[in-house]
Amino acid sequence: MFPAVFRLSTTGARTLATRFRPGHTAPLASRCYSHAKVETDEEFDARWVTYFNKPDIDTWELKKGMNTLIGYDLVPEAKILDSALRACRRLNDLASAIRILEAVKDKAGPHKDIYPYLLQELKPTLAELGISTPEELGIDKI
Amino acid sequence: MSLPKPVMRGLLGRRLRFHLPIAFALSIVAAAAFKYTVTEPRKQAYADFYKQYDAVKEFNAMREAGIFESVRPSGE
Repeated sequence: MFPAVFRLSTTGARTLATRFRPGHTAPLASRCYSHAKVETDEEFDARWVTYFNKPDIDTWELKKGMNTLIGYDLVPEAKILDSALRACRRLNDLASAIRILEAVKDKAGPHKDIYPYLLQELKPTLAELGISTPEELGIDKI
Repeated sequence: MSLPKPVMRGLLGRRLRFHLPIAFALSIVAAAAFKYTVTEPRKQAYADFYKQYDAVKEFNAMREAGIFESVRPSGE
């Protein structure tokens, strides 16, 4: 029974791969039949960095941006998070800054190597802006 | 020691692409197993029972047992 299951799953995976191919280019739904231009990862990242870099961003836009970003099938890049944390700094919103770190850890799900990597990349920013991680504050445990 | 950059995109898509075919396959197998171990034997059991069923004989047995109101046992 199990060999049959694996045979089925690989053929299934191949047909499913052609059906939903968000692929390595965009986390947003992109079907093979659309003529829309597919956004590259770099364009996506740049767009979000620009979004959070707005000098007079307001709290609503920050929260809306973060919520939208968390809805995608990806963990945001360090540069996007850096931009978002700086936006929190401009808005004097330490709570949101720490929440962003918690959200990112949650987004990684079972992939435990992502969060330490992001903390490593964001260490200078966290030091500069004076943001503690949830682990340092002891709020990462239930 | 600096950590290498992990894959951060498309993780859910990858998981679904792997697990959904398995889930569908296992569900179909479970349904097939139930069909052929439960429902088909049951249907066969009913068919076998009714193949040689004599309704009149059964009716008379019930009548003699006295369970009907519309028709009494043949003795009364």
